[in-house]
Amino acid sequence: MTLPLGEKHFSSAQPESAVRRIVTFRVGDRTFGIDVGMVREIKGWQATTPLPHAAPHVRGVLNLRGVILAVYDLRTSIGLGVTDATATHVIVVVDVEDKTAGLLVDSVSDIVDVPVSAVRPAPDLERDEHGLIEGLVLLDTEIVALLDLGAVIRDGGAEAPAARQARVA
Amino acid sequence: MDALAELKQTFFQECEELLGALEQKLQALDEGSVDSEDVNAAFRAIHSIKGGAGAFGCTELVAFAHVFEASLDHLRSGRVAIVDAPFSLFLRCSDAVADLVSAARNDEPARPRPDLLEALSQVGQSEAPKPVPAPAAAAPTKRPPVKSDDAPPGIAALGNLLAMVEAKTGAASAPVDAGWDDEPAPVAAPKAKPGREIRLHIHPDTDLFRRVIEPRVVIALLPPEDIVSVVCDMSHVPALEAIDVTDCWMRFTVTLRTEMSIEEIHAKFDFTLAAEEFEIEVEPMPANDDVEPEIEVAAPVSEVPQNVAADLSAILAKLGPASAPAAQPDIAPAPAVTTQLVTAAQAPAAPRPAARPPANDAVAARQRQAVSVRVDLDRIDKLMNLVGEIVITQSMLVECVRSLPYDVYAKTAEGILTLSRQTRELQDHVMAVRAQPVKAVFQRMPRLVRELAQTLGKEVRLVLEGENTEVDKTIIEELADPLTHMIRNSMDHGLETPEDRIAAGKSPEGTIKLVAEHRAGRIVISVTDDGRGIGRDKLLAKAKSRGLVGQDEKLAPEEIDQLIFAAGLSTAEVISDVSGRGVGMDVVRRNVESLGGRISVDSEPGRGCKFTLALPLTLAVLEGMVIRCGEDRYVIPISSVIETQHLTNTPIEHLTFGQEVLRWRGEVTPLYRLGAVMGSSGRPDENIIIIAETERGGNVGIAVDEIVGQQQVVVKSLEGNYGTVNGASAATILGDGLVALILDVDSMLRLAASSGRPPASALKMAG
Repeated sequence: MTLPLGEKHFSSAQPESAVRRIVTFRVGDRTFGIDVGMVREIKGWQATTPLPHAAPHVRGVLNLRGVILAVYDLRTSIGLGVTDATATHVIVVVDVEDKTAGLLVDSVSDIVDVPVSAVRPAPDLERDEHGLIEGLVLLDTEIVALLDLGAVIRDGGAEAPAARQARVA
Repeated sequence: MDALAELKQTFFQECEELLGALEQKLQALDEGSVDSEDVNAAFRAIHSIKGGAGAFGCTELVAFAHVFEASLDHLRSGRVAIVDAPFSLFLRCSDAVADLVSAARNDEPARPRPDLLEALSQVGQSEAPKPVPAPAAAAPTKRPPVKSDDAPPGIAALGNLLAMVEAKTGAASAPVDAGWDDEPAPVAAPKAKPGREIRLHIHPDTDLFRRVIEPRVVIALLPPEDIVSVVCDMSHVPALEAIDVTDCWMRFTVTLRTEMSIEEIHAKFDFTLAAEEFEIEVEPMPANDDVEPEIEVAAPVSEVPQNVAADLSAILAKLGPASAPAAQPDIAPAPAVTTQLVTAAQAPAAPRPAARPPANDAVAARQRQAVSVRVDLDRIDKLMNLVGEIVITQSMLVECVRSLPYDVYAKTAEGILTLSRQTRELQDHVMAVRAQPVKAVFQRMPRLVRELAQTLGKEVRLVLEGENTEVDKTIIEELADPLTHMIRNSMDHGLETPEDRIAAGKSPEGTIKLVAEHRAGRIVISVTDDGRGIGRDKLLAKAKSRGLVGQDEKLAPEEIDQLIFAAGLSTAEVISDVSGRGVGMDVVRRNVESLGGRISVDSEPGRGCKFTLALPLTLAVLEGMVIRCGEDRYVIPISSVIETQHLTNTPIEHLTFGQEVLRWRGEVTPLYRLGAVMGSSGRPDENIIIIAETERGGNVGIAVDEIVGQQQVVVKSLEGNYGTVNGASAATILGDGLVALILDVDSMLRLAASSGRPPASALKMAG
């Protein structure tokens, strides 16, 4: 019953001019990015409740307006230890694989439009981040690593590379 | 597409309700009710299912429902007496309809039921037609109203509607009633019939289609040979762009020449139209006037709509010549006729009151519909969440207010106190909205019993009581399994075969009673049978052979009965498909206890057996004890807690491998330190011991730092956004907005047993 209104709009989106709108955030001196569409909201750090015997990067659970979601420490995921969270730290609330999750990062820096053609595949070098990085974007001043959120959430953290390798295999 | 899928979903939901009603009515009739309203209700239910099924193209369902409806119609029309009707066949058919509905719902191929169809078509064939007033007897044979068209009826209605919309917009120049080709042709022939002229103005509410009724069904309720003409008025149809095809904007004027009384006509529409949806006008001419019909026969055919046009003149003018070519010349005389009609309509005042009761019923039924609203459960859950949030915000406010200067504090505190009372009330009301009668589960049981009775060759009567007892929907969802198990158990093990029952001096038919009631803040459901009771000797012997009971142990009869809940015990001599692999009652018990409920059994040898199930009224909220260990807080369900005590009063002994035990009421009880098991942060001092009960019936001691308080907590799922958490069943949000895990004692014990090893579940949890 809907009119095909979108058709014109769709055809005008030429593949070469396609852009990805990326939210970038920092952990230590490194910059990461995810598609803006995956971000539900950004909120300040809030104390979490730890879960018994959870993977190291699972920081705990918190209450987001009546919904309980888990917070993952990105710093732990990339092997840089545990974030000493303060009021200035930020939780990026994302939708990933029909779940809502929180990503603990140091700060959110920017929203940038990146041509799809400018996204390069992740080099298969960095052992710690193997599988977590979906691609790289070179901006003027920095390199943004695009995160594969599904992998971030599944991954047991840098302390469990054996398990990760088992999963990849 | 989405809208259609949604509509279809609604239809299937309605089907479930309709099937429930159908089965219930048929059951009542089977048990000896002779109430024609039961027959009507059953007919209505199957009719609505058929109508909806047609609209969604479920052809198998339509075909079956059609035959079923037709045979029920024989009852309704009196061709088959209610007492002679094969209700057991009808009940099996209602099961078959349920199968077809679920097949349609799951897009599975439906199982054809030629046997039932054949049996159904026999209904009414062998019986000689009962003497009924002539026109009424003629009508049913012509029915069912919707003849087996190629297209399903609902779609046909939409097609008709579209044709009419086209006609209105000038896309097609066909006459208005072109779609109504199965209506009797409006020729003058019926005029020769005796009877008087009656004009029926049908102006259905716009929700007609959504009530799964279509105009042609309504009109087909009238004896076809009495219909002189049908004129459709579409002046109310909105502009094409504003039209909602599920709205009915058509109005009809049907001219009848009939001997039916006003009451009979009213009765025809008894369950399709509300009283305010149609009006009956009687022509002032005397019914048995011999001269009058002849004049009418002489009148040209084009004059037929003249009567109809009377009060439609304005509308017809709007519709224009394309829709009603013959109407134009009749506009002038119309007002005169109208006045005449108005007086005529008031004239038959006497028969009107007699026609009232059915009409009133219809109104009452519609009013009942009006006061209930179908709400998506998701929305209620969201509401529930919000209320939970308000409760938390409010307790945060309480904290803030404490730091205010006294004079401000006093006033604010008063406001907050009121707020908290209102919030609690709000929470209660939202919970009440979520509550559903246990009927939703109970009404599945008659079918189960029927099918089982056939399989087992037993005669069983199922008695349901307290079907309207309400519990939260979370519990409703969990009830079906235990109840099914319990009824199976009673039918298989409890009730004897008819021969055995006769030998025991009982009636061959066994009775199973399913009763629900509220008791002390819980819902209590009991399944009582009048069978042989628990075979204690056999049960005990088996328990001993399995080593569950010591060979020389002496057990009280009641203790033996409780063995039925032990794992791996089944006393049926023959292992049947129905139950009896020993995975019956122990599973039920475990499931019930995991819901915070209890199950018990009372048995009297030779007299029967009664299982009683007590469950909390909701799983959304639970009464919990908030405890602290180190820096973390947890909630332990009150239902698990037996008692609490100070560690200093309790002698602790150390076994090997660091396992600690304590003596509690003369028994050696294992002790677990919560901080160690759950990995709490901070340094726990563990001064308090909570004695908790496990599912297996044993007790354990759990050492914690502090008991913070006891409160109702809202249960929140951890699975939704994370995964299962060992040691916890769910989580909740405490007054300060922080999350606390709700401990599950048994899961905790498993965690304790496996700790030391790396948690294998950690990786798969989030995936």
